[in-house]
Amino acid sequence: MRRLYAILIAAGFVYMMLSFLGVVPGYGNIDLCSRVSSSFLLKDVSEQNAKNWLMAKGLETKSIEKVYGEKNKEDGCANVVTSIVVNYRSFDTLGEVTVLFTAALGVGLILGGTRRKKYGLLPNFVFRESTRILVPLIILFGAYIFVHGHLTPGGGFPGGTIIAAAALLLYLADEEFFLSKVSTGALEGSMGGLYVIAGLLGLAIGGYFLYNFLPTGRVGNLISSGIVPIVYTFIGLKVGAELSGLITDLHSEEG
Amino acid sequence: MSWNEMLGQILMVVGGFFYFLGGLGMIRMPDVYNRLQAGTKATTLGTFSTVLGVGIAYPPFLIKSLIIIAFVALTNPVGSSVLARASYLAGVKPAPITKVDEYKGGESS
Repeated sequence: MRRLYAILIAAGFVYMMLSFLGVVPGYGNIDLCSRVSSSFLLKDVSEQNAKNWLMAKGLETKSIEKVYGEKNKEDGCANVVTSIVVNYRSFDTLGEVTVLFTAALGVGLILGGTRRKKYGLLPNFVFRESTRILVPLIILFGAYIFVHGHLTPGGGFPGGTIIAAAALLLYLADEEFFLSKVSTGALEGSMGGLYVIAGLLGLAIGGYFLYNFLPTGRVGNLISSGIVPIVYTFIGLKVGAELSGLITDLHSEEG
Repeated sequence: MSWNEMLGQILMVVGGFFYFLGGLGMIRMPDVYNRLQAGTKATTLGTFSTVLGVGIAYPPFLIKSLIIIAFVALTNPVGSSVLARASYLAGVKPAPITKVDEYKGGESS
């Protein structure tokens, strides 16, 4: 009898999911442009509410595409914060990354060591097993955050912090785990160098340091707004490697 | 209002009720472990129904909300179990009305 109820409930769920297939657009058919930017700018997930809001403002409904979908020569970010941080004030962000690098260097000089500090305490079984499932997902989520930094709230710094959280999880779950200082240092240094190289390319092409020299595309598409997603990928990987190295320093000892 | 919006908003209200129960458990429960289970259980169920309600009411967000539910189902119970074990090993005593201590391995009071 219980099995019958379970089958009925499962069939109901399957029917519900199948009935949604008519509503959800197919893979590749979603116009990310019209959805992300208007929803983000109006701070509302309902398309109808967005149209009503525009009608109340006295604008035509067609102007959603006109305002948020058209080619924007100046910057092309759907996310205003990102357009300020990585486009208009990108040199300031370079200094910010340097501040973080200096802080991590200081921690490394004071606390760094060559051997993993062991606590002599076997971690929880549930925690150990779920870490193996969670770590790839957390790294994927961090990458999603910094790749979509110009579309949705987020960006390089939160994405890098999430990647460092995966490293911290590995340290807590495994007594033997020790991240090589060489790999994190190499990733961090190369990403910082690539950021500066992107800036110098802008200087060579456009005449300004960190000039946005790539085509900006339609507002709200994934590949848009020029060098902003590329620079945010550099920042995300750099911050992730930096904070992972900092966690390594906190878990190591002289020996 | 179509049927899926109605169902979604009912689910959101149910989720809010579970959040309320979690807050009530935080105040009323006697010790760390009971509070931990009240908080985790309530927030897990509350997040499930709230996020699923959003996904059902606005179907373009359905897949994203299912992914969020999977993440919460993976992380929330693990975090609470780690917290409970850490507080036990740090020497936090259970409430005096606790009868069975299975971590110690027996039915001692």
